[in-house]
Amino acid sequence: MKAWKYSLVFASIALLRASSDPAMAQNLEPAALAHPSSDSWPTYHGDYSGKRHSKLNQITPGNVGSLTLAWAFQTNQNAPIKSTPLLVDGILYFTVPDNIWAVDARSGHALWHYNKPTDEGLHIGHRGVAMYKGWLYYLTPDSHLISLNAKDGTIRWDVVVADVKKGYWTTMAPLVVRNHVIIGVSGDFDNLAGYLRSIDPETGGTQWQWDSTPPAGTPNSTTGGMTWMTGTYDPELNLLYWGTGNPTPVLNGKPRPGDNLYTCAIVALNPDTGKLTWAFSASPHDTHDWDAVETPILVDGDFHGKPHKMVMQASRNGYFFVLDRTNGKSLLTSTFGPVNWSLGVDKEGRPIPNPAKEPAPDGRLIAPDEGGMTNYRAPSFDPTTGLFIVDAHPSYSIYFAKAADGIYGWAGADYGLWGKGVIEAIDYQTGKLRWTHEVGDGGSGAGVLTTASGLTFTGDAHGSVLALATKDGRTLWHSGMGSPMVSSPIAYELDGRQFVMTSSGGVLFAWTLPQTERNAVAKH
Amino acid sequence: MNRFRALTLVVVFGFIPAIAHPGWSQTSRTEHAPADNSAGAHSYAKNCAICHGDQREGILPGFPPLLDVNRKFTHEQIESLIRTGKGRMPNFAKLPQEEVAELMRFLSTSDIAVGGANGAGNISDAGRPLFQRNCAFCHGRDAAGGETGPDLTRSKLLISDTNGSKFSEVVRNGRPEKKMPAFNFSNEEVHSLLLFVRNQGKSSRPGGRRGVDVSDLQTGNVEAGKRYFSGPGGCVKCHSATGDLAGVANRFQGLQLEQQMLYPNNAKSTVAVTLPDGRSLAGELAYRDEFTIGLRGADGVYHSWPVSRIRYTVDSPVDGHVELFGKYSDDDIHNLMAYMQTLH
Repeated sequence: MKAWKYSLVFASIALLRASSDPAMAQNLEPAALAHPSSDSWPTYHGDYSGKRHSKLNQITPGNVGSLTLAWAFQTNQNAPIKSTPLLVDGILYFTVPDNIWAVDARSGHALWHYNKPTDEGLHIGHRGVAMYKGWLYYLTPDSHLISLNAKDGTIRWDVVVADVKKGYWTTMAPLVVRNHVIIGVSGDFDNLAGYLRSIDPETGGTQWQWDSTPPAGTPNSTTGGMTWMTGTYDPELNLLYWGTGNPTPVLNGKPRPGDNLYTCAIVALNPDTGKLTWAFSASPHDTHDWDAVETPILVDGDFHGKPHKMVMQASRNGYFFVLDRTNGKSLLTSTFGPVNWSLGVDKEGRPIPNPAKEPAPDGRLIAPDEGGMTNYRAPSFDPTTGLFIVDAHPSYSIYFAKAADGIYGWAGADYGLWGKGVIEAIDYQTGKLRWTHEVGDGGSGAGVLTTASGLTFTGDAHGSVLALATKDGRTLWHSGMGSPMVSSPIAYELDGRQFVMTSSGGVLFAWTLPQTERNAVAKH
Repeated sequence: MNRFRALTLVVVFGFIPAIAHPGWSQTSRTEHAPADNSAGAHSYAKNCAICHGDQREGILPGFPPLLDVNRKFTHEQIESLIRTGKGRMPNFAKLPQEEVAELMRFLSTSDIAVGGANGAGNISDAGRPLFQRNCAFCHGRDAAGGETGPDLTRSKLLISDTNGSKFSEVVRNGRPEKKMPAFNFSNEEVHSLLLFVRNQGKSSRPGGRRGVDVSDLQTGNVEAGKRYFSGPGGCVKCHSATGDLAGVANRFQGLQLEQQMLYPNNAKSTVAVTLPDGRSLAGELAYRDEFTIGLRGADGVYHSWPVSRIRYTVDSPVDGHVELFGKYSDDDIHNLMAYMQTLH
């Protein structure tokens, strides 16, 4: 009897301890973001570097052929999943506009679903949430930042971060750096200034704001420079790296002479103050809607025989840049597909726009098209091979602008003519393509994930998920998912099993090796 | 819209004193101001919209739509319903007579007539948020074209589509080949979108994205275009001004002609397949990815094979257009366009 009592007390204490043990709670200490564990994917890009390279090696070129479905999760929504899920403490958090799901990563069943329709703001896509301790941060189409309890999706606070009536909207996944929640905005249908803002994770108060461009109405000046994709962060240099969007009016450059700083740029900012350390113009005086918001990937390594801290971007305008990320100086500029709008590259490594290729009343043939050589789909950097792998879109289009189109918003028109999708492996030391893999007419919207075992996961234009050999681009495995992937894959390990997660339409897919295959691997 | 309705329904059914419930403040964010500013519209918004919907669309199955209510009931019957109520519907006996008269006037307006006459109607206003949420990014907030999507106010399909059936088909099926998704909208929602688009041409925002006029595309030189056609362009390898291109300027004009000239979007490829047993088949290339080849024979029957099991060759004459992209100057295009426009 006594023994039974003691054991009950003991069990109660154990239970109490378990519930107060931080390891058992849905909790993400910001310090963990610098070194994410293999059973997590705690930020939009998986880590601060933006490489989207998984260290996991259970799934290999030798066994990927037997990859199989662990589970699928159906959102039953028309909106395709464009977000990257977060994985923290075994729970996935992902979004489509107006919706967030928390899903058990082991079984694929929903724990909670936030669903709040909004009428205003463009519902073109949503990239996902950020997490700080036990709180999620979600931007609504009508430009609110909402903090939710990760346990149940209940709202803690809701602050307005941009004015939807003026034409701003928000889609991006915030980035948490220590006690800063960094958010960016969209809105190039109007002549508006872009900005990046740091929000207090506890209160929702603004800590700082960095403006990409002067306020609307400043004479001879540009507006624009939206900050609609998640940037990267170097903890050692304590610098944020962020891409900015196109200037406005979009296709008419006449009212905004000069380089239009800081639009279409990669900028380095102090995350504590929002002060600019350096900026690099990827498209000076852009007139083709080519946001430079694609992931600024941080790589430490050799460049032409010397160690460097680099930042690399495959930009929407068709150029691939390697910069020294301590000072923004160019190490390499090359093209990764047909580009016909520049007069070459200046001594700072910036493309020189050709005035004859600005949109004109009778049309200009332009490569690439408005969607660009690449876009929000994420690239990946594979440290073993030194390959920067990007889903590219060689393409041609015609651009028009005339006085009657005015100087507000779009201010012109453009029409895509032709394009295709090509997965390209760029050697960052030379800018040359080591291999290419065609993925279909029109192009694919799939991002790229590489793994330490030498695999590249992506998708084709027809709806297949592909596993390629990173060294030469050969297809090792594929599976039809029903519609083309318009998100970027992730990988994680749970209970000793490696998963690769992809999406298609409104469905999330978790891929893994069959149980027997894994056992065979373990015995080797 | 459906989700909003469902949410409203839950609030109304779940909490009869709905207005007092905090849940209401959430839905109020998506409410619309009355579309017209008449006293009747305001009375409707105050007294009726909570059950019959902001746009008189009803909240089914509980509450009927009031659009076209004057076709179902006489003037006297409607007034009597308002005054005395019926079933679940409360009476509004205390409404001043003038307000009832204004409300009756408002209820007798037909949305379609309002939309057509004034360029802005209730259904069309219902279409606005739906359009902004789902269509505006690609087609522009004013439907005059946005990122990647064409100007709908100049759409030939829409102009010729008097009853909206083609529009409905495109919205419901999408255009996968052009990356336009399919939308699962109700008849009313599709109708509201159509009215919204039709009303845009009348109220264009300055500086928005505009289309291209035939007069914009007249800067080329016909003779130079003709020389390019038979010389450096190599067009005569496949085309003839008196053969396949005879009358092309009658079939297409302006931007459409230029787009067809640069890359014909309905060009067909053919494929010849040799099967493992040595038999050969040929036909139109119906599908191709890295793993599968699909062929449609002259009899219209579709066949497909894993590429690993067959040998095949594809003939895509349209690839010649892709090769030219890297060679054209803008003048070449304008000259060629001038020449094409003479082929009546």
